[in-house]
Amino acid sequence: MGIKIVKREGKSFKDRIYLPAILGGMMTTLGHFLRNLRDTSNIKTLNYPEEQPKDITSRYRGVHRLTKRDDGSVRCVACFMCATACPAECIFIEAQEREDGVDEKMPKVFTIDLLECVFCGGCVEACPCDAIRMDTGIFTFVAHKREDFLLTKDKLLSFEAKKEKA
Amino acid sequence: MNSISISIVIINIILALLFSLGAAPILVWIERRVAGFIQDRMGPNRCHIKGIRLGGLIQSFADMLKLVFKEDFEASGIKESFFFSLAPVIVFCSAFLTFMVMPFADNLKIGAQVFYMQGLPIDLGVLWFLAFAGLSVYGIMLGGWASNNKYSLLGSIRAGAQVISYEAAMGLSLVSVLITYGSIHLVDIVNFQGKLLFGFIPAWGIIIQPLAAIIFIVTAFAEANRTPFDIAEGESELVGGFHTEYSAMRFGLFFVGEYVAMSASSALIVTLFFGGYHLPWLNTQVLQNHITWVLAFIMIALPTVSFFFSKWMFNNNRWLEEGNIRNRESKLLFKVIIGINLLVILGLGFWLSLGVEEIGANIATAVIQVSTFAIKLLLMNFVFVWVRWTLPRFRYDQLQDLGWKILMPLAIANIVLTATIVVVFGV
Repeated sequence: MGIKIVKREGKSFKDRIYLPAILGGMMTTLGHFLRNLRDTSNIKTLNYPEEQPKDITSRYRGVHRLTKRDDGSVRCVACFMCATACPAECIFIEAQEREDGVDEKMPKVFTIDLLECVFCGGCVEACPCDAIRMDTGIFTFVAHKREDFLLTKDKLLSFEAKKEKA
Repeated sequence: MNSISISIVIINIILALLFSLGAAPILVWIERRVAGFIQDRMGPNRCHIKGIRLGGLIQSFADMLKLVFKEDFEASGIKESFFFSLAPVIVFCSAFLTFMVMPFADNLKIGAQVFYMQGLPIDLGVLWFLAFAGLSVYGIMLGGWASNNKYSLLGSIRAGAQVISYEAAMGLSLVSVLITYGSIHLVDIVNFQGKLLFGFIPAWGIIIQPLAAIIFIVTAFAEANRTPFDIAEGESELVGGFHTEYSAMRFGLFFVGEYVAMSASSALIVTLFFGGYHLPWLNTQVLQNHITWVLAFIMIALPTVSFFFSKWMFNNNRWLEEGNIRNRESKLLFKVIIGINLLVILGLGFWLSLGVEEIGANIATAVIQVSTFAIKLLLMNFVFVWVRWTLPRFRYDQLQDLGWKILMPLAIANIVLTATIVVVFGV
């Protein structure tokens, strides 16, 4: 077993007078300062809210939406799979019989409490009919009252999928 | 007292106020914008008055207004209400008074009268600075103690320990500087630096006394309570340090006092080590003798600088939305710049065509020197800000190690060296 001598840093004279290292650091920050001062478009921050983020992909888990059939009616059959899978227990469904013969059941009430939702995507995974998706791309949802954060069925049906930019 | 002397005294007081108190909002703005640019973000740039943003400067005035109109809260645990209110006053006044002896220009000669171009016409210079700069720590200690809060008390204990560890080194580094210059009066010191070394190097303090300059600059950061030595504030360790319990304008006084102290320290650094109000190679006599050439040079330089500044402004001073009120600013400022240029060029041209007399030359020299001093002061303040956003905070014991074990022996060695050279060579 040979003895390995570990080289200790910071003991040389140059290290001990600090100033070269301090000047090196200051040159780095000055470089950033001058580059950004010369042309402020070098700064990568967004001027939110005028400028919106451009890197929201179709797989981003935004606010939920209920998908529709070809005839425009709700695709959901009120099977309660999403409500069962939900770890936050934020989905509230009441079923009703479907009269138009397209299917047997449909939701009478379908409410998602966004204040409880953890945006895990479990409901989307659980749905057997591809009736709920989180592809709206909405990443901010603001309201004045707690009640306004309850997304009703009509509201959920009104959302559209985020369009991919060509 | 005639009208000339009264007007010059008033101008001096206004200049002193502008450089210290008036500089505070500008320094806050510089601090925030420079911090932003160093960290690759924008900094405050939204606040505007009818679209005029001045690069975010308006934000400082909004913040000042906010501080003035906030509730002046005082916790019920504070027993010594009088000392609690007195502390920020001490910090502010001592910071403010330190600035009063900084010369903005060489002694102005009008006819037979000679005027000191500084806030208070006294020649105590460095001594005055040391006396009042040392006083500001009493405000910090008093405020921390009167707050009746453990964090505040820790902050003020740290401030006390900090002061005894750097003030010795600071004073000693100044001794060697004073041996070199042979005077404590700042005007004499600056005029010494107007000479040339070996005929071509300006005899600035940083060239004659590099070691003293480094020691003084390091201790000046501690003096102004700025990072890397802001252990009295230490917001990551002590909440807000000595000003945890302060709010509204009582906090505002601490806050403004810090920036005024920083400006005063910069002014002394500039005066002692960077040639004060002198342009390099152009001391007062040279400037007065060649004033027509200097004025002609200004007539050429000003439009050139304005051209590049306007180009930069049109490229960078934009708002994303079309038709936003903030987008009108660049055009307005461009008109103002053109107006200033026309005014200065026509005025100077008219004056030069008439011929410059001696009084005129003296006044023009004073104006040029005041501008030089202002630019140097701004650059030194920028260095303070730049260091703050580069270096992390020193630990409490590291600062004391630095003060007692490194800076003080270095300062003493520098005194011995300087004294030997002065005695042997009789410089």
